[in-house]
Amino acid sequence: MIEVGRICVKIAGRDAGRKCVVVDILDDNFVLIDGSTRRRKCNFRHLEPTAEVIKIKKGASHEEVAKEFEKLGLPVWNTKPKPSSERPRKQRGKRKKAGQEGSGKDEKKKGKKEPAVKAEASKDSGKEEKAESQSQPPEQEGQSSEEQQDGSPQ
Amino acid sequence: MTSEKSRSKRIVARKTPGGRVSVRRVARKPEAAKCAECGKPLKGVPRELPSKMRNLPKTAKRPERPFGGYLCSSCMRKLMVKKARE
Repeated sequence: MIEVGRICVKIAGRDAGRKCVVVDILDDNFVLIDGSTRRRKCNFRHLEPTAEVIKIKKGASHEEVAKEFEKLGLPVWNTKPKPSSERPRKQRGKRKKAGQEGSGKDEKKKGKKEPAVKAEASKDSGKEEKAESQSQPPEQEGQSSEEQQDGSPQ
Repeated sequence: MTSEKSRSKRIVARKTPGGRVSVRRVARKPEAAKCAECGKPLKGVPRELPSKMRNLPKTAKRPERPFGGYLCSSCMRKLMVKKARE
């Protein structure tokens, strides 16, 4: 009953109730099927043979089976390979740079840097002034600079 | 709210962390789903409270085959053979 080209109905599993054709006989129990079901290995006990037989080669490709099935007016299960989509990767550095927040941070950093430089310059200038005016030993410089900074705005 | 002593809850003995055996009242689970043809309990259909079943994915609630969750596999096969021979 089970032979290459025999149209069967699958009676078990996900494809139950769909028509398929035996493409190859693998061993005593298993056959390769294709058609309205997925192209797959199948136990012949999970198949119910029908009276129809179509002419196909042993081990026929899916395209050949699809042509024959179209002649019979039966639907064909086309397994489409999933379109390979890019894996979502964590972009740690790039996102921050590209995003608005990142740019804002950069601006802040720049803003911070500039005043710091100014402060340093002012400190330096203050030190210089002190050094010139008071000519104190270097140990007490820190204290004196603080005093000067406090005093300068007044 | 039902009282703790009502028959709507099941009595379960549980061992506490202190070693004492205490009595807990647990909600009863619904009956197992059964095959519409032969009446055997269906496999692959969890016996859970509706609140838990609601949160399960669809594929975890019934087998992925025609009449899954309605007929048992053997009854489905018989039906498919019947259809194929018509």
